[in-house]
Amino acid sequence: MSELSLPKKAIDWFRNITTLAIVVAVIWSLIGLEIRWERLIDLPADLFLIGTLMFGNLDIADFPNLAGAMWESISIAWVGTLIAALFAIPLSFLAAENLVGRPIAWVIRQVFNILRAVPEVILAIALIPIFGLTPLTGVLAIGIGSIGTLGKLFYEVIESIKKNPLEAADAVGANKLVRFRWGVLPQVMPEMTSFVLYRFEVNIRASAVMGLIGAGGIGNDVALALRFKDWEVAGMGLLIVILGTILVDAISGAARKRIIKGTQAKPIELAEV
Amino acid sequence: MTASKVELPKKPGIPGAIIFSLVFAFVLTVVTMITVEFSLTEILTNFGRRNLVADGLFNPDFGQILSERSLSAFIETLQLAVLGTVLGGGMSMFMAYWATEFGNPIRWLRAIVRTFNNVVRSIPDLLWALLFVTAVGIGILPGLLALFFFSMAVVTKLTSDTLDGIDMGPIEAAKASGSGLISMLRTAVIPQILPSYTSFVLYGFELNLRASAVLGLVGAGGIGSRIEFFRSRGDWSEVWGLVLMFFLVVFLVERFSVTIRRRLV
Repeated sequence: MSELSLPKKAIDWFRNITTLAIVVAVIWSLIGLEIRWERLIDLPADLFLIGTLMFGNLDIADFPNLAGAMWESISIAWVGTLIAALFAIPLSFLAAENLVGRPIAWVIRQVFNILRAVPEVILAIALIPIFGLTPLTGVLAIGIGSIGTLGKLFYEVIESIKKNPLEAADAVGANKLVRFRWGVLPQVMPEMTSFVLYRFEVNIRASAVMGLIGAGGIGNDVALALRFKDWEVAGMGLLIVILGTILVDAISGAARKRIIKGTQAKPIELAEV
Repeated sequence: MTASKVELPKKPGIPGAIIFSLVFAFVLTVVTMITVEFSLTEILTNFGRRNLVADGLFNPDFGQILSERSLSAFIETLQLAVLGTVLGGGMSMFMAYWATEFGNPIRWLRAIVRTFNNVVRSIPDLLWALLFVTAVGIGILPGLLALFFFSMAVVTKLTSDTLDGIDMGPIEAAKASGSGLISMLRTAVIPQILPSYTSFVLYGFELNLRASAVLGLVGAGGIGSRIEFFRSRGDWSEVWGLVLMFFLVVFLVERFSVTIRRRLV
């Protein structure tokens, strides 16, 4: 009787090569970066010291001013997101392969990809010489920077619509406008709205740092306070950033849940962005 | 016998919730526009004016990235992103595990871990960088720490959401057959989350790569310091040359990463 042997395991080349590439990249980075690792030993103590300096004696008198600055950050994020949506909606219909031809869709998608790659802060740097150190710079940087992401999310929604309502509209002899109003819009509105809110949440974080380079909002106050070692103000500012962000996240998140509840919409996957 | 008149059902009106949300959104928009002093005419006149930034954009100096200092800063940026993501992604595995019910049965401890994650996630990357620059001084280390915390927070959030939704059956089976913690994780948990986890880490890498370009603006190393240098001198051709070249690379890396992510999920 011949001995049975287990079949050989198949070699997963994709997996092996990716793993190897990652290992090589990590080793290359470890060797290449001249990091003074010994500084890490002092880090906890340093962080604790700064923490006590910042949060040790918070002064409530700083609150109104900084809360106002946070409101400016939130405003920048909201207006910026709306501007982005204003441009992304028409563009995304041109990027949906089921509505327009492939060549047009491809061109618009590349525009989205390019816009997506550039961080808002870089855009803000470019806009400061034009608009000065004003909140409007932050608004436009966020507005331009979010078109790509929103557009991508939008056209994916548009491409996933069901044909049936469109056929029904055609069957009763609807014209183009009616067809769009009753066949397309109801299918895409909930998800699009919730994506706009999601992007608003992301943009709160972006607008909070706009100030670090002078483009309005609370980042400005925090950066200045840290630079001039005005620890209490920096601590209060940081606290307000954290609380404000979590608060807006909670409200907007609840609204998003309410919007997509009851439809067959899939929950928003951050990883798809 | 006369047929009773059939009445059409009443047309449903617009729900109050929608009216409320629309009014709320409208008021919010008006108030925020006033706060940021939004003005369309200002935007149009400013964009219409000839300016140095736009001149630089149309005449970028692509050669700048090959100069010795810019190239080494550029490589530093890539290395920072790789290392920050690997460390942050690795740590997030533990953080995500501790944020779940089966990984951390003690309720208040779990609440602490989750709150910590939320707080870390609410601080933007550049603010992390500024905080660490304040703590450990200008250099690469604050940049690495910023990317570490930032990607850890994002990946933790996504992974713990996935962990919450996994099938508990294999875990019970592993426990029933008497496996210890390590072998339970190895056979019942990791196989369930590995594809999505890997894709989250790659997503974190994409975020870190983009973030690493701006770290230098606050003195945390990488290509951003070169961008800031040329910006402060007003050499917009050099700025745009660096930015465009960097984002060409980001774009290529992202395509690659998206391809891998598609295969994984």
